[in-house]
Amino acid sequence: MVELSSERDVREAYAAHSGELYGFALRSLGDAGLAEEAVQETFVRAWRAGERFDPQIASLRTWLFAILRNVVIDLGRARAARPKLSGEGGVEPSVEPLEQALLSWQVEEAMRRIGEDHRRVLVETHYRGRPYAEVAEELGVPEGTVKSRVYYGLRALRVVLEEMGYEG
Amino acid sequence: MRAEEHRELRLALGAYVLGDLPAAERAELEGHLEGCAECRAEAAALGSVGQLLALADPARFSRPAPLPPAELGDRVAAMIGSERRARRGQRRRRGFGFALAGAAAAAAAVLAIVVFAGGEGSGPGPAQQVEFGSLPAAVEISATLQPHAFGTEIHMYVKGARSGTLCRVFLRDRQGRAFSAGSFRYRWGDDSDAVLSSALDLSRTGSIDIHVGGRTYSAPVGQGTAAATWKSTEEDI
Repeated sequence: MVELSSERDVREAYAAHSGELYGFALRSLGDAGLAEEAVQETFVRAWRAGERFDPQIASLRTWLFAILRNVVIDLGRARAARPKLSGEGGVEPSVEPLEQALLSWQVEEAMRRIGEDHRRVLVETHYRGRPYAEVAEELGVPEGTVKSRVYYGLRALRVVLEEMGYEG
Repeated sequence: MRAEEHRELRLALGAYVLGDLPAAERAELEGHLEGCAECRAEAAALGSVGQLLALADPARFSRPAPLPPAELGDRVAAMIGSERRARRGQRRRRGFGFALAGAAAAAAAVLAIVVFAGGEGSGPGPAQQVEFGSLPAAVEISATLQPHAFGTEIHMYVKGARSGTLCRVFLRDRQGRAFSAGSFRYRWGDDSDAVLSSALDLSRTGSIDIHVGGRTYSAPVGQGTAAATWKSTEEDI
């Protein structure tokens, strides 16, 4: 069972989850420095509140994401409340609501995790809107294969999203 | 329902929920769906995933997932370690703010930099205490900066702001580039210092900024200022 009462526990939690947390922080804050700050703050808050973590209620990953969500909201408010720092450059307030940013990040992360063949046909047919026959010819496979890859790609995407906690 | 037909039509469900099937195929599949609860359920499940595709940006997911810098883990560990130590030694640490933030001190634009020994060779260099000037009456802000291999540890002392005020701290290098040192919330009655860290080395730090409730206060840090003070003294002589 994972707890967060010791620094070693935090280190293990960091090793397991920092990549995902950073990915989402970067997606929603749009700035690497702020994303680092958000991840750092998340683990510090998690450690401070470590005794309140109850694995019976939520997984460690879910709990960390809930903390990060609050941190991102705080950072967003702080950013909105102060003038832009000249040295920071390129920091734009996120116009995307946080829940949608989280969902977008989840779908993008799930897309990275499905097989290359499946991702490829979804990109070509769905995002680029190309005809199945054209994509089939380019890939050197029958058109039926492109169609079945779209099917298995969506199934794989669903499985990965469910693993990531999506309940739709 | 023939098993062969079911299997074949099922594979078209992805294209179907994405609206990519030609009319004839779509009609055939919809005929099948009417009599096949299994395929209807599958179509519903895939349809909800299909709707999510619009949220994802292919330009983003075509690149590998961004990773945090390797030293971020060390910074987190160092920050938690120092906060744990700070909790133990909180009593001992208090007092900096009180000792130096008198009425005269509050009036001056830029106050003092007190360099004191880090003690027992605990870090790569001595800690520095920084005072912030030009503060509103009743507000006190000071900081103690400690150099580390990962960057700079900052103990930030704030007093007299509205309770719940978000405070954000940045170190700036001599070129004025800002390096985030994190944020904390000032709570009225919590007479302790916040422990922060920044990736910028103390030796390269030119100033420290703190944003408190929509205002920014800045104080010079380090050899640059110390040297300037010393030089002007020499000229006076």
